[in-house]
Parts: sequence; structure tokens; C-alpha cells
Amino acid sequence: MRRDRMARLRGPCQSRPAMERTPVIVVREAGVLTLILNRPQRLNALNPALIEAVNHELARARDDHDIRAVLLTGVGRGFCAGADLADGGPGESGADGRPDLGAAMDRLFNPMIRNIRTLAKPVVAAVNGVAAGGGANLALACDIVLAARSARFDQAFVRISLMPDLGGTWFLPHIVGDARARALAMLGASLPAEEAERMGMVWQVLDDGLLMGEARELAAQLAAGPTLSYAAIKKAMNVAPTNTLDQQLDLERDSQRALGRSDDFREGVAAFLAKRAPRFVGR
Amino acid sequence: MAYDRILLAHDQGLATLTLNAPDKLNAVSRKMIAEIKDCWETLAADSSVRAVLLTGAGRGFCAGADLSDPDREGGPTADSGAALDKFFNPVIRLMRSMPKPIVAAVNGPAAGVGMSFALASDIAIAARSATFLQAFARIGLLPDGGSTWFLPRMVGDQRARALAMLAPRITAEQAKAWGLIWDVVDDGALLATATDVARRLGDGPTLALARIKAALDKSSANQLSSQLDLERDFQRELGRSEDYREGVAAFLAKRKPVFKGK
Repeated sequence: MRRDRMARLRGPCQSRPAMERTPVIVVREAGVLTLILNRPQRLNALNPALIEAVNHELARARDDHDIRAVLLTGVGRGFCAGADLADGGPGESGADGRPDLGAAMDRLFNPMIRNIRTLAKPVVAAVNGVAAGGGANLALACDIVLAARSARFDQAFVRISLMPDLGGTWFLPHIVGDARARALAMLGASLPAEEAERMGMVWQVLDDGLLMGEARELAAQLAAGPTLSYAAIKKAMNVAPTNTLDQQLDLERDSQRALGRSDDFREGVAAFLAKRAPRFVGR
Repeated sequence: MAYDRILLAHDQGLATLTLNAPDKLNAVSRKMIAEIKDCWETLAADSSVRAVLLTGAGRGFCAGADLSDPDREGGPTADSGAALDKFFNPVIRLMRSMPKPIVAAVNGPAAGVGMSFALASDIAIAARSATFLQAFARIGLLPDGGSTWFLPRMVGDQRARALAMLAPRITAEQAKAWGLIWDVVDDGALLATATDVARRLGDGPTLALARIKAALDKSSANQLSSQLDLERDFQRELGRSEDYREGVAAFLAKRKPVFKGK
């Protein structure tokens, strides 16, 4: 079992001798790229090696037409505990000797969020345990979030005198509304998964034992779907919050025009009229 | 323009537009959308109309674009953007910019652009048996009719992405719980309830209702500071209306106001 998973390891982690030292386990199977955060002793807290590995894999997935969906999850009890504050924390030392958190955001964290949002394929998060600080917002950056019933979403930042980052101040008001966003950020609230679902942060909460099976099935379903549709939906949803309705209608027209010329649209209409299941190829 | 695929009725300031292709759950053919567009243009320009009720004949509200429409262009060179430019987008723009309230009575399935019509209405009330479906991704398209704009504003970014990508059929109750529609009522009570709401709005302060529509449309792209200025300008304008004078007089006299939409 373990050798089998080892054999599937790819990317920068390939040469590492032990699984424990691979910050991200990478599995490519049937169109799905699965990224498993693998620092369970630290609740998968984000350190530079882990973020670099995620960014590397997302960059590869961008140009890999065989990958049509991404699944992001974590090993052990946690999904992701946010930035790892150990070993000096994420702050590179600034000129005055105090940490420069902005430099780490620029070099590592923000590119990761941008990579997820601009990837032209759906990204599913399977939140298997606590998602705290940057870990919570990493989940919110994904297109579809499934969570284990025991998972928690924790905007922990104010407890160490920071503000939500990794897009949190943008995702929260767009997901839960302004009033709840301010309270979550200022109170550093820790939400059980069901509460997060009720607020719209999570698409579906599942019993812990069912989470990974359902998440894999969902990712496989998306990988067999109309990839160009998903890409167009992501792009449209990314700009919807700042567009006027007028601009968005024009964007829908342009995207729909492009999709109308795709093989998958022809197949989709033919299948609909013949009352059979479509077979999408992602073109 | 004589209508064949829709019905239009007037009753004392309330216009009722009924999509009328019941054998196809009111799927929108090229003929129907041309009539819908003409109808909204007429209603927008007719100052005797002070509210519109939108509903569907038969079991369905609107099944979305009619994929078996003989007038539909098929084949690899078909331009899906052209129909949006010519018909669907002008219809959505008319619905949103029209200075009078639109109530949707969603009497059955609202799928694809049919769901967009419901979302573009000011107040949507659904029958308990109605369902909502962003069907687009099922045939390799993305939501249109403004749905990529309406959805994230109504249900938030996360649910919007899932509704668009997974294309699940959701119940009227779920749609209400998520804020996609205003209310759900028993099937038998839908038309009376929705007509009552539309009638009440039709008898209401039309200018104020029009400014509410405009202000809420602007709020989604405005900064708070710009929105405060816009509220000032609209309120200044409404403060000079006959209906405001009547509203204040009726309030002070503890009687019901009689608004004229002026």
C-alpha cells in the first residue's frame, strides 16, 4: 500500500527518502490531481517547502491537459493550521530586524491563492479537520468545499494581532455577507463545519468516514465533465463581484460564444436530445 | 406585435406576462424570446403599467432555451453569443432597468435561462413543487441571462460555484433558505399570493420602487461613500414627488395612503 502510493509520487518531492518528509503527497489518477498536505505533526501548517510544492504542482497542472480537476486535502487530524509560526515563522527579517510578513505573502502565500483561482479547472477542497487562519482561507479559495463534520473553520488571525490574509478579507464578505464577515474576522471565531455550511462557506458537510470517498467521487465527476465550462464559470465568478450586471452580461455573451464552438457543447446538446449521458472530453 | 408564444393581460396598472408553450414547459424558442423582448419594451414604455407579474402556463415556469427549436442554429459554426446579444441580454437589461417592480410567480421547473428570468425579477415567489436548475454546464455551457452575476450576490461565492459547476436541481424550499427567492407557498395558493403582492406593488409609490431597484443595482459595484451620495440624490428627488406628500399626509392622519406613481 505504502509502496504503491510512493510509486505515484511526482514532482519536487520525488527524491525524498521518507514519506514523512514530503510536505505534499501528489497523486495523479484518472484526470484528478490530488494534493495531500503532509505535515500531520504540525496539523499541516504552511511552511515554505509545503507552499512551494503546492505552487509547483498547480503550475504543472495548468499546462497538463490530462489533469481536469484538483482535489486538495490533508493528512491526519487537520486540514491546514495556517502559516507555521515555528522556526521563526513566515516573516523574513526586514531591514529593521522585525519580520517582513509582506515579503512571504508576495513570494509564497499570495501566488498559491492566485494559482488556485486562475487555474482553468475546478479545485475541490476536502476539509478533513481543523482549517485555521490561512488554512481556512486556503479552503475558501477552492471552488467547491466539502468538510468533515468534525472540521472547524477558524479565522485565528486576530489572536496573534494580525488580520485575515490569503484572501480572507475578500472571500468572507463575498461568501457570508458583510456583517458576518466583520464578526468572524474581529472575533477570531472558530466555526464548526455545520455552522460554516449554514453560512455558505461549505457546499456540503459529511460524516468524517464518508468525506474522502465523496470528495474523490466529486473530483472524478468534475474531471469527466465539460472542463471548458468549468473554466468559464470560474473566470465569470472571479470577476462577478466587481463587475456591473451590464459588464457581466457582455462577458457571458463572449464566453458562451466560445463554449458554443466547443466539442463538448455539441456532445452535450446531442446527448440531451437523445436522452443519454454525455461524454465530455474537455475540448 | 401579435403574440403567439406568450400571453399579456392588463388589469388596472398590473400587467401579467405568461410564457405560453406549456407542452414544452415553456422552453424559450427564438420566436418566444423575440416576443418576450418586444413585450418588456412595451411594458417599460407604458406609464399606465405600474407592476408586472411574470409566470408560466401549465406545469412549468420556464425550461430554459429550447434545444429542439427548429429555428435554432446548430453545428460548429453556430454563434451562441449572437442570441444573447440580440435577445436574452436585452431582456435581462430591460427587466433590471425597468422603473417598475417585477414579481415572478414560479409555478414549476425554472431551468437554465428560465431560472435567470426568476432571479432577474425583483421578487420571486415559488410554488412548493417548483425546482431550480442551472442546467448550463450539463451541455457544456456556462450560466447566462446574468446568472453568473446574480448567483454570487444571492448565495455567496462558494454556493454559486457549486450551483454552476455541479448543476444540481434544487427545491423551492432550498432556494428560499439560500435567498434565491423571496418566498415559497403551496402550489394552489401561488397565483393568488403572487398576484396580491404584484397588485400591492402596483398600487404603491412607483417612483420610490423604481429608485429602490436602481439603488440596489448600483450598490453591488459602488463603494459605501458613492452609495451614500446616490441615496442623497434619489431621496432629494423622491422628496419632491406627489406620492411623498401623500405618504406623509396619510401617515399623520393615520389613514391609508393612495399612491399614484407620480
